[in-house]
Amino acid sequence: MLKKAFSWVDERFPLSEVIKHELTEYPVPRNLNYMWNFGFLAMFVLIVQLVSGIFLAMHYKADVNMAFDSIQHIMRDVNYGWLIRYLHSTGASAFFVVVFIHIGRTLYYGSYRRPRELLWWTGLLLWFLLMATAFMGYLLPWGQMSYWGAQVITSLFGTTPVFGEEIVRWLRGDFVVGDATLTRFFALHYLFPFIISAAVVIHLVALHWVKSSNPSGITLRAKDNIPFHPYFTIKDMFGVGVFLIVFCGFVFFNPEFWIEADNNIAANPMSTPAHIVPEWYFLPFYAILRSIPDALGGVITMFMAVAIFAILPWLDRSNIPGGALFRPGYRIMVYVFFVDVLVLSYVGAKPPEGSFVIIGQIATLIYFGLFLLLPFVSSHEARRSREKGLPHEAERLIREEQEDLLRREHGVRRKGDEERLGQTDKGFQGEER
Amino acid sequence: MKRVLVVLSVVALLMGVASAMASAVGKLKSLDVDESNEARQRGAETVISACMMCHSLKYVKFMDLADIGMSKEQIEYLLEDQKIEDRMLSLMPMEIREESYGKVPPDLSLITIARKKGPQYVYTLLTDYYYQEDGETNNYLFEGIKMPDVLAYADAESDQERADIEAQMRDVVSFLKWAADPHSDERRSLGVYVIIYLVIFTTLLYLLKRRIWSRLH
Amino acid sequence: MASDKDLDRPDRRDFLGAVTTAVGAVGVVGACYPFVSSMNPSKDVKVKSTSLVDLDSIPEGKTHTVEWQGKPIFVVHRTDEVIADMQASSTDIDPQADKDRVQQLQWLVVIGICTHLGCVPNRTESGWSCPCHGSIYDNSGRVLRGPAPKNLVVPPYEFINEKKIIIGKA
Repeated sequence: MLKKAFSWVDERFPLSEVIKHELTEYPVPRNLNYMWNFGFLAMFVLIVQLVSGIFLAMHYKADVNMAFDSIQHIMRDVNYGWLIRYLHSTGASAFFVVVFIHIGRTLYYGSYRRPRELLWWTGLLLWFLLMATAFMGYLLPWGQMSYWGAQVITSLFGTTPVFGEEIVRWLRGDFVVGDATLTRFFALHYLFPFIISAAVVIHLVALHWVKSSNPSGITLRAKDNIPFHPYFTIKDMFGVGVFLIVFCGFVFFNPEFWIEADNNIAANPMSTPAHIVPEWYFLPFYAILRSIPDALGGVITMFMAVAIFAILPWLDRSNIPGGALFRPGYRIMVYVFFVDVLVLSYVGAKPPEGSFVIIGQIATLIYFGLFLLLPFVSSHEARRSREKGLPHEAERLIREEQEDLLRREHGVRRKGDEERLGQTDKGFQGEER
Repeated sequence: MKRVLVVLSVVALLMGVASAMASAVGKLKSLDVDESNEARQRGAETVISACMMCHSLKYVKFMDLADIGMSKEQIEYLLEDQKIEDRMLSLMPMEIREESYGKVPPDLSLITIARKKGPQYVYTLLTDYYYQEDGETNNYLFEGIKMPDVLAYADAESDQERADIEAQMRDVVSFLKWAADPHSDERRSLGVYVIIYLVIFTTLLYLLKRRIWSRLH
Repeated sequence: MASDKDLDRPDRRDFLGAVTTAVGAVGVVGACYPFVSSMNPSKDVKVKSTSLVDLDSIPEGKTHTVEWQGKPIFVVHRTDEVIADMQASSTDIDPQADKDRVQQLQWLVVIGICTHLGCVPNRTESGWSCPCHGSIYDNSGRVLRGPAPKNLVVPPYEFINEKKIIIGKA
């Protein structure tokens, strides 16, 4: 019966074809490790946020006089309101944890390199949309931190020369963060996740054109690919299971961990909290912002800290494929970068006093320094590899890749390959590339 | 070895960041909050009879006390002019409170989650009163506090007296912790079932994953 | 990694797959429950499922309109004359004895929503008249003339004492 339904649809719409080509029989390198689970996990968290967010919106009131109260109404009166709210607040942090690990994987393994530059760019777009969504969402509970965080960050746009003040007023809809701001942030916070969903589709289209990279960074032979189903469907589901255990651990046993205490106090425009701290996922950029004494300079530097990721594929001039695996110099740089981001986060959480100022400034210098250093380090690596050769493993993989390409270009197949191809799962055929 | 060092330093840094965010709040006394309904009920009595002179708990209704096991009669016993469906608002008008204390005493509905280590903070505050040389009361945790020493902790002369007030304050904290998070019992018991389910499900997924991947040579 | 052995015993592999799928399905259904439940009336709304009426405030012969679950309720303090009248009369469209529509004869409690299309009828001397399509009700809330098909609905209520009734169930 189901078969009949499918064949009726397939005559009129490429449903089975698309499912087969993009999902069940989609080729994936067999050597992916668990670091490759995080893309799917990000999509899972997006769905958690969408569903919990929509159900919260059924009870939330985006009015300065009612917002904070409506959150309490959700927490106390709405059936399972407390659960839906904690899913959403924990999910926001979970989203960034997953996305940061996903980006970290891309940096470490050099998955941003040719031909995956546009895949990298669509990913950066997603990260940028996520930050905007999170920033707007954080205003909605209308707590002290919500209000003052929004006040500070919207003020930053005032550093724009000439039109600064007008821009800030236009953003806020008022002279200060107020009812107009809250209402529009709610409207946009509800909208953006759907833009994110569309951007996810584009990100996946880009991915499916160039296919996944793998830990070696070198394209494997076609026959070393395996179909997405069942190998990676089950592996992704297992990843979700592990993720949910940690996630639900927080939701059910320590949900307030991710909520800033000051945000449980209703916003008071007359009284600023002692320490304004953004949510943890903004801390490194907050630290960078504060490390530049000049206001406009700080804003520009902070935006550059995000934007500079875009030119990364062109900064990396190595001829050694991939990322840290076969490139010890690059590996050290990546580790230093990760540690530097942690240091910046720490500084961002502290008041800008004493030794934290200079530490923050040094960490900012290191942050940008690593990017600027990359062309030189990678060129040096390229030169050395031409003199001394690559590690054996890398050479073997590259050789296999080239042989594979040649074979397919000239349509030559050896008998042994035929047999080996037949033995892979369900007669699966590797794809070009 | 290098890997281990790297992982260890990352974890150390992460913990550092987390602790940076949780800034130290003076010296807080340690407290294991009694989460029993009995403790919460005792705390409710003290809060309603003593604290609500000046403080309100606007997100809590008197009838919510049924959720910690109080009967309708027990609740009504604590009421003065209020009705059982009313919210717990202070009977003293706001202007008078503002005049006496310089500002409106904060609402207590969320106080234990509106401060870092809230329960310990509240307990320490309530039991840190002392007499200055000039005969005025002050507070070690909150210098220059405007709130009076409601249960006369600084007046206590014997260890027993102090212990009694401390016990009462612990009950107050028990109640306030519930008031800030009335679904905590349900949340944790549901959480146990959810985690157990997830462990079972994830184990099944793992076994299935191993089986499927074992087909690859 | 004896893959051949596993292929030879598909039933073992399928069993694990079937069990895992079943457990997963249970989880998905369970996860839906809180969301569906959150759309039901919340605690503060459920509290409003009953309304108290103080009968002392309604003089003889008069009708008060109170609110219950967002609906208007007509509470009539009937005179002896009206009571006798209603006891003696009967109606054709939705026959019902007056004594079956009241708990105490002098108090009539009905939902003030016309059973035709939901307008609120106006009070008349002999009962109610609906301004929308002309339905007429008597002093027992019974429909005398259509297009209303049914008598005015009697909500669940209870006498707490002589002077108070509680409409609706807790």
